[in-house]
Amino acid sequence: MKPPSSARFVSSARPAEWTAEHGNGSGEQRPVISLRGVSKAFPLRRGHRVTALDDLSFEVRPEEFVALIGPSGCGKSTILRLIASLEAPTSGTVLVEGRPPADLAREHRLGVAFQDHALLPWLSAWDNVALPYRVAGRRPDRDRIAHLLQLVGMTGFERARPRQLSGGMRQRVAIARALVLDPDVLLLDEPFGALDAVTRRHLNVELQRIWAESRITTLLVTHSVDEALFLADRVIVLSSRPGRVRLIRELPFVRPRDRSIIRTPEFHALADELTAALDEITEGP
Amino acid sequence: MIRGRSPDSATQRAGLGALGLAALAVAWELAGRAELLGPSWPPLSSILATLADPTRARLFRRAVAATVAEAGQGYLVGILVAFGLGLVSVLAPVSRRGLDRLAALLNAVPMIALGPVLISTMPRHRVPVALAALAVFFTTFVAATAGFAAASPLHHDLLSVFGAVRRTRFRRLQLPASIPILCTGLKLGAPAAVLGAILGEWFGAEDGIGPILVASMQNYRIDLLWATALLAAALSMLAYGVMSAIERAADHRFR
Repeated sequence: MKPPSSARFVSSARPAEWTAEHGNGSGEQRPVISLRGVSKAFPLRRGHRVTALDDLSFEVRPEEFVALIGPSGCGKSTILRLIASLEAPTSGTVLVEGRPPADLAREHRLGVAFQDHALLPWLSAWDNVALPYRVAGRRPDRDRIAHLLQLVGMTGFERARPRQLSGGMRQRVAIARALVLDPDVLLLDEPFGALDAVTRRHLNVELQRIWAESRITTLLVTHSVDEALFLADRVIVLSSRPGRVRLIRELPFVRPRDRSIIRTPEFHALADELTAALDEITEGP
Repeated sequence: MIRGRSPDSATQRAGLGALGLAALAVAWELAGRAELLGPSWPPLSSILATLADPTRARLFRRAVAATVAEAGQGYLVGILVAFGLGLVSVLAPVSRRGLDRLAALLNAVPMIALGPVLISTMPRHRVPVALAALAVFFTTFVAATAGFAAASPLHHDLLSVFGAVRRTRFRRLQLPASIPILCTGLKLGAPAAVLGAILGEWFGAEDGIGPILVASMQNYRIDLLWATALLAAALSMLAYGVMSAIERAADHRFR
């Protein structure tokens, strides 16, 4: 039923630098997420339309962490919404595991964290993490929830309600909730975008560690070049209005990573290149 | 001390409220004694004396018990029917428009006009319950349907992403998100149920606040009329106060 998912467990002994060594090996494995010629237009008033995405194509391979960066309004979030089946493309196809993306959501195999934590205010941290089980009609797995709360550093706050938690803690709970059902695909829409710089850096280090343990195929949307470089295997730069793929870079950094990689020359070179690409997009040709 | 200000202003508000109430009572008393508004507007003290009259204690107790029972039954019936129809309208969206119209139509018919209709279709002692139920139905129905639509789009997206079917979405999101608004509806419905029950009693009930109001008016028992009216108002306010407290608790728990 779910080949990419089982493949994840079988091949977990694969070298960490796999993506670096097989940089252009997208042909050897079926992509988990694939967008082909995707366009998305939103109707405005009086018959006008705004084109958010135009003829966009890219793929995300199994166990790959891809970061999408681009200026505000380049349709980054729209891409995630298409893959989450919250929107339908105007033209082109979006496939997840070779099927329409709605199938994945319906089978409770999708994990998502938004910029807004979207925790339910009437539920405790524990119950918020247990929500995906209940939505899926399954009994919450206490050990799994305890493990995830521990993984995101929220042990001891199980009974706290979202309003009693800081912004960073809410995002930690939201990350735990996204991971609790061990999804096939993880979508992250600027999950730390609303946090202060120090908390954000700290949570990125932890997300990197958590991700290295589970290696879920992940698509992250961000407008921080550093965040993208630190977390991803591959970075896709989008141009704005309409969003198109402008630049793709494979990242050479091995996992597990720590903050020291941001002081390496490779990191600086890539950061300069991507920042220049973003500047060019923002300022125009 | 910024934090110190809020309890201060709360006490201040309560103090001002008490002061306003006292001023109203004094003005009433003086106006009544001077018969400024005619002989049918007695001073507050004589109304309170009538209320406290031990020979009437049994009369008032029985009346309040009867009205509370009718208003309470009507309140429950009205809430259950309104909530049930609200449920139908959210789980079967095709029925939404029709149910909205039906509720608006029922609300547009004056309760006083419904009385005679109800008398001819049901036993008299049921009319107060029916009118109380009708009075609370509309606010509860509106609150229920508004409440079921109150969950944020983001939370709806979240449930979609996790693959929620309609029933799960309702139970895990729409129902809990509706509770604060539902409680506001129930708060507004509580005095309406008391009013509906008293109105229903006018159409020939034997016990309750309504019959005393009618009898004392017809017999020109001004003090008794005012005392009973005050009792009815107090009952309404009490119901409102209790439901306000529940609303606040719900707001704290679910928002």
